Amino acid sequence: MDTTNATQSDLRCPTCAGQCSYSPTYRGLECASCGNVHDLKTDDDYRAAEELGYNPNLTGEDLPDLSKTRAHHCKTCGGVVLFTGPALSERCPYCDGPVVLGTQDTSYETMALIPFEIDAMYAQHQAQDWVKRRIAAPNDLEDIVAKARVAGLYAPFWTFDSEEAVEYWAQYTVGSSSNRRTKTTKGKMRISFDDLLMPASPHVTPLIRDGILHDFDPSALRPYREGYLAGFAAERHHQSVADGLDSNEADKRLLIRNRIKQHINKSGVNNLGYHTHTSGIHYRRILLPVWILHYEYRGQPMKVVVSGIDGRTYGERPFSVPKIAAYSGLLSAIAIIIGLAWGAGGLL
Amino acid sequence: MAPLTSPLLAALVLMIAATFVGMLPVVKLIRVYEGHHELKQGSAGWIRTIAGWSMIVFWLMTTWFVATIIGDWGVSGDLQGAVDRSWLRLRIIIEIAAAIADSD
Repeated sequence: MDTTNATQSDLRCPTCAGQCSYSPTYRGLECASCGNVHDLKTDDDYRAAEELGYNPNLTGEDLPDLSKTRAHHCKTCGGVVLFTGPALSERCPYCDGPVVLGTQDTSYETMALIPFEIDAMYAQHQAQDWVKRRIAAPNDLEDIVAKARVAGLYAPFWTFDSEEAVEYWAQYTVGSSSNRRTKTTKGKMRISFDDLLMPASPHVTPLIRDGILHDFDPSALRPYREGYLAGFAAERHHQSVADGLDSNEADKRLLIRNRIKQHINKSGVNNLGYHTHTSGIHYRRILLPVWILHYEYRGQPMKVVVSGIDGRTYGERPFSVPKIAAYSGLLSAIAIIIGLAWGAGGLL
Repeated sequence: MAPLTSPLLAALVLMIAATFVGMLPVVKLIRVYEGHHELKQGSAGWIRTIAGWSMIVFWLMTTWFVATIIGDWGVSGDLQGAVDRSWLRLRIIIEIAAAIADSD
């Protein structure tokens, strides 16, 4: 099915037939010609937060959608993005590389999304402010970032719920010097993961997720509608649930190990091992709004990402070698002065 | 008072070496500071960013320890004696380093 024409007609203004795009300011479709705003709310918006259960033994249920959409392929990073409505761009919002129009994008159906709540101007301010607050940043960084512009993108994410029945074993140390002893411990615990967010795109790293998405609120989810995408780029889901769970595994292992250490509540925990039985897996395939600002520093491509929900910002930054050397010299000088005084004073 | 030329020269060499070696720990310190304030507490990204903070303490402790020997040497004029007197100090900072490594 070719959804392109249907989408374009949905995005026409019912008053003047002008082109509409989603306005984060008015939280609706805003007509570029007459300025009217059309609400996208529906009576069943509350259902967008519903999750689907997943049974690893029934993988046949999870099939991709073969709808034909205007997918653009990035020549630089390989990203596949959709441009809905008037936001056609010749640059990839992930890496700023050139994109070419493909004919078909085979992807999984998106269940819900959180619409943009902050606009480009505020996102640009947030990104520049974030860069301004970097310690030991190169002096010319602010000027370079000021010339770059943010691009709005709906990035694909998973939310996963699961129940983990964990059996662990570990060693920990007690005492010091000659009294230092290694002890072993083992135990059982249950861990519940609720709405664990996982990027479903290699272009959004878990570090950026943890920098910009602190408080995920499922009640802010809305059913997937093209109107929310109008004026923005979007990447659809290309991972099966099994693939999503696989990519979530490293984070989950780290979180489980951390919870086990807290459960043992001893210092010097090492040789930690565990078995876990996972049940109650539930998931959502969602899109979350981000503003991405690209810049290049001495040939190195970098990005600052601003949450389209609340403006929280995180990103990549360069360091100034002379400033780092100055900080290092200052801290070294303090340690040396204290050390010299300590030694000269004949203390211990 | 012992001649201070050699201890001062040693302190200068220590300053240059510690500054050079400390550049990586300073980058780590900034990343830990920024991560601590900007990443979601307890998240996987936060845990990964905070991990390895002990390198900052090891760098400063090592610099301090070598400086204590130079300080002792500068006052006593006896380098071998200063090194001998530093053994107890060394044992204590190794204990502290082990405890810090355990909690990193």
